[in-house]
Amino acid sequence: MSTYAKPIPIPSATTEFFWDGCKQHQLLLQQCTSCSAFRFPPSPICPECLSTGSKIEEVSGQGTVHTFGVYHRLYHPGFKEEIPYVVGIIELDEGPRLLSNVIDSDPKDVYCGMPVHVVFEEITEDSTLYKFAPAPSS
Amino acid sequence: MENLRGKYAIVGVGQSPLGKVPDMGPLDLLAVASKNAIEDAGLSKSDIDGLITRGPDDINVHHQRLGQLLGIDVRYSTSTDNGGASQVLNIAMACMAIEAGMCDTVLCGFGRDSWSRTHRDATSKMRVSTQHESLQRQEFGPEFGLYGAPANYAMAARRHMQLYGTTKEQLGSIAIAFREHAIRNPYAFIRDPLTMEDYLTARTIVEPLNFYDCSIFADAAGAVVVTSLERARDLKQEPAHILGFGFGNNLRGWYHGDHMVNTGAKQAGETAYHMAGVEPKDIDTAQIYDCFTHMVLLQLEDYGFCAKGEGGQFAASGALKLDGILPTNTSGGQLSEAHAEGMLQVVEGVHQVRHDYGSDRQVKDAELVLVTGHGGATVCQSALILGRHL
Repeated sequence: MSTYAKPIPIPSATTEFFWDGCKQHQLLLQQCTSCSAFRFPPSPICPECLSTGSKIEEVSGQGTVHTFGVYHRLYHPGFKEEIPYVVGIIELDEGPRLLSNVIDSDPKDVYCGMPVHVVFEEITEDSTLYKFAPAPSS
Repeated sequence: MENLRGKYAIVGVGQSPLGKVPDMGPLDLLAVASKNAIEDAGLSKSDIDGLITRGPDDINVHHQRLGQLLGIDVRYSTSTDNGGASQVLNIAMACMAIEAGMCDTVLCGFGRDSWSRTHRDATSKMRVSTQHESLQRQEFGPEFGLYGAPANYAMAARRHMQLYGTTKEQLGSIAIAFREHAIRNPYAFIRDPLTMEDYLTARTIVEPLNFYDCSIFADAAGAVVVTSLERARDLKQEPAHILGFGFGNNLRGWYHGDHMVNTGAKQAGETAYHMAGVEPKDIDTAQIYDCFTHMVLLQLEDYGFCAKGEGGQFAASGALKLDGILPTNTSGGQLSEAHAEGMLQVVEGVHQVRHDYGSDRQVKDAELVLVTGHGGATVCQSALILGRHL
């Protein structure tokens, strides 16, 4: 296997649980124990009510593409083979929005409102990324 | 805030050479622009007792370094960090500092070397950030290939297209209008004619934005001098009266709620219009922060020149041209003149209300100009209204 040439996320103490979840192929978010809001990115306080109480919950991984851009210009040599690639904002069914890639779809077929679901991509032994693919048509 | 209306003025403006200036760094460019602004005001450097620049994530033009180059000690100085919204913010801060008795005459400015920085060697074009690596995001971005400024604006443009049917041609009309203005500006960096065909066939950067939707890499600096109207009356130039300013910072982020469709410019504008006692229809010319064509479209809506969703039609109607109903970015803006994070647009706004130009560039009978700033991870907005008269 060739060396992974793209940036590898560097977790902080606050985000470590999230990345550990990805390694287990679980999308884990904090849910406020006071107002029940899910939040992302990970934070010690709830941005809705400032409560410090939270529990970590696995969420469905289902959502829709809020919006997206398609990269044609190369900014990092690691992405040379990917161009054109889709960077989008995914709105999870639980509320929070995550920036990620939309994969397994021709960029021309991606649209705002497109149903997607999370897929996990093991990039190194220690790091797994969350990405989104078109949801199976119902 | 209304008590500050017209109490302060911009009394001098200056700029550096623009475009390819490989023998000067950002601080050098800003020092030259500062000297030109001080001279334009008919002041000497010993009159400057306040200094505000943009920083600190772009430490190149930090106030301490500029003060050293200009050889001045001051009573009040700082560098702000609202990205491209900083330049207008700094002028408001200058008014507040003078009002508080901290100082009397403030120099505000910004400079950058974007052309030189991105053309040093074969790989330098890839390094587009001015931030030190240690300040750059380590997760939730780069691992997905989120790089450069265009992506966030591309995502906003896509959303606007989806919601309101905005078209590429409408975005193109913005780039073309500003290029026509740059052709009239002998100091503008890019002065080649631009047709709709050129625009529509340009290479894609981050879809839906192409090359001409993006502001240009340029070496550029601008500076202004702010003082009280009382003092301004004895100076060399007609004062550009500072009638209003306002800010709106959607700190919950570009991706939150509808922030990438309804920006903080709405609040910034409402505050500035209220302070100045004017309405959008009173504005004779706008100098709008144009990092990308789409950001102009959003601000035309949020500053009240047309309804939400109608920015594309408004731009495509020819409204932004020199003879249009809202001549906009009359120097060519950051899409064609040079990108100094909004500083040159303040300079242009002052020239327009001073009626400095001949008929080829002057907005006829310009009384009121709106100058806007935008930046700071896309969420900070600032607005400034300058008047020829009180």
